[in-house]
Order: sequence, then C-alpha cells, then structure tokens
Amino acid sequence: MQKLMHADKAVLMAAFARMDVVALAVAMGTVCAVGLVLLTVTLLVKGAPPDMHIGTHLGLLGIYLPGYSVSWGGSAIGAVYGWIIGAAIGFAWAVLWNLTHYLYIILVVARAHWWRLMAD
Amino acid sequence: MSENAPVPIDENLLHATVKLNTLLFAGVCGLMAGLALLCATYLSLYRGLPNPGHYLNLLGVFLPGYSVSTGGAWAGFLWGALLGAISGAVIYRIYARSIRAQVADYFAGNRSEDALEFAVVKLHGHSLGLALGGIAALGLLITTNWLVIRGTADESVHAALFAHYLPGYAVSFPGSILGAVDVFVITYLLCFLLGLIYNGVVALRQNGAST
Repeated sequence: MQKLMHADKAVLMAAFARMDVVALAVAMGTVCAVGLVLLTVTLLVKGAPPDMHIGTHLGLLGIYLPGYSVSWGGSAIGAVYGWIIGAAIGFAWAVLWNLTHYLYIILVVARAHWWRLMAD
Repeated sequence: MSENAPVPIDENLLHATVKLNTLLFAGVCGLMAGLALLCATYLSLYRGLPNPGHYLNLLGVFLPGYSVSTGGAWAGFLWGALLGAISGAVIYRIYARSIRAQVADYFAGNRSEDALEFAVVKLHGHSLGLALGGIAALGLLITTNWLVIRGTADESVHAALFAHYLPGYAVSFPGSILGAVDVFVITYLLCFLLGLIYNGVVALRQNGAST
C-alpha cells in the first residue's frame, strides 16, 4: 500500500518536476552551436564547383547574424551566435514550462480553497 | 510485496497527468512556434532589404495565407501556433512513455522522500530523439511530397539544397524517404546530445548545491 502511494507521488514528481533553466539554456545553446558549425563545416569540406561561391544560401544568415559567413572564421562566429540564440530559446522554454505548471497548481489550489469555503 | 516486484502505478493518475502535460506542452510549443514565425516575419519586413522575405515567402507554399507582410505575419503566427501545438502534443505523448522508466528509476535508486519535493526534470534523450526525430522526418516527408503532388518538384531548387546535408535526398518520393531517414538520424543524435548535456549540468548543479 505504501509502495502504491509512493508510486503515485513518483508519477506526479515525474510529471510536475521543474525544468532546470540554466541546464536547458546551456544544453540548447551547445546543441545549436554544434548544429550551426556542422552546417557550415559540411559546406566548407564539400567545397563548390570552380567559379562558384561556397554556401551562397547559408551565407544569407549573415544578414541576421553580423559577421557570420560560410568560412572557417565565420563558423566560429556562428558558434557564438548559435550558442546565444539556443540558450535564449532554452531559457524561454524552461521558464514557460515551469510557469505553466506553477499557474496550473495555483489554479487547482485556489479552486480547492474556494470549494472548501463554499462548503463551510 | 518483495522489493524486486514491479512498481504498481495507478493507471488513471498516469493517464490524467500525461493528458494535462500534453495540453500544457502543446500550449507552450504552439506559443513558441507562433512567436518565432511572427518575429522572423517582422524582422524580415523591417530589416530594410531590397527584397524582403525572398526566402521566407516560400513558406506560403505550405502555409496558405502566409506571406512576408503585416497581415501575413499574423497568419504565420496562427499557422505556427497550430503546427507547434500539434507537434508539441505528439512529442509529449511519445516522450511520456519514459515516465514509467523514471518511476522505476526512482524506486531502484532508493532515494529519500525529499527528492520528490525538489524534483528536477531529467531528459530522456532516447525518447526525445524518437519523438522529435519522428516529427522532423514526417515534416520533411509531407512537405517534399506536397511539392511533388502540386507538380513543382522540378522548380523547387531551394528544397533540393537539402541534398547538401541529407545524402540521397531529392524532391521526389524515393528521395523524400531517404531524406526522412537522414533527418530522423540527425535529429535523434542531436536530441541524445541535448539530453546528455542537460542531465550532466543538472547533476553538476545538484552536486554543487549538496556540498
């Protein structure tokens, strides 16, 4: 019986556990940085036919990310941008996820109090 | 009941929590995707380039009503919210299969009850990879074959550029299947990496807090 109660608590724990904001920001930042570097390096390694630029389309990211280009130096700058953008997304995601849970729990507790008040 | 017996889980409670979290996750994903498309469109509009949204406008092929314009940005917000919410719901449904494993881990780890009060999400890279990889692969399959069905496969030069990153990909039915497999593998690996880093940072921070 006690194990069943613990199992219930563990299910709720798994479902309502809070997201670590810093960890998700770091993880998302790193994955985005690695992703952008891989995208750039793939084009650099494959190269382009003679008298054609490498990464004409990917290079357009430079419009939004000043300093970025499809080059070895550009991939390093892209990694920094990728990390910052990924970290911002991860931060926002974790904060929103935690916030929705907090709001839901506040709503449930307030509703329970309201019904108890009505019953009294 | 012996210590090694399987953990009894209240199925109704599990179902209710998964349902609630599916709704919440769908809401968060929908909001994030809608805002991302809205911001990207406005950024493209007000960047002051001679041909704003030259590439972003191509999304209008898949999202009717969308264009790089003020009205189109809000149509994009709605499309982003809808697709984000559907994807989020599917992702959480698949990811939720790991809850049983997490509960079993809790009992196997013999942790204190305090651990329940201050629990932090642990990312299951495998489940997340299956979920996100599946969604990404399905997305590529649908969008590529939409181009094939509408008869513009030969003109889809931008979609064909995916072949740089996805070996075997082409704007055709067989090409879309190969591309979908590639996308699944790449997304799965990135999710696995995400899970490893996230869980590693969480463990570091918890160890730092406990010492």
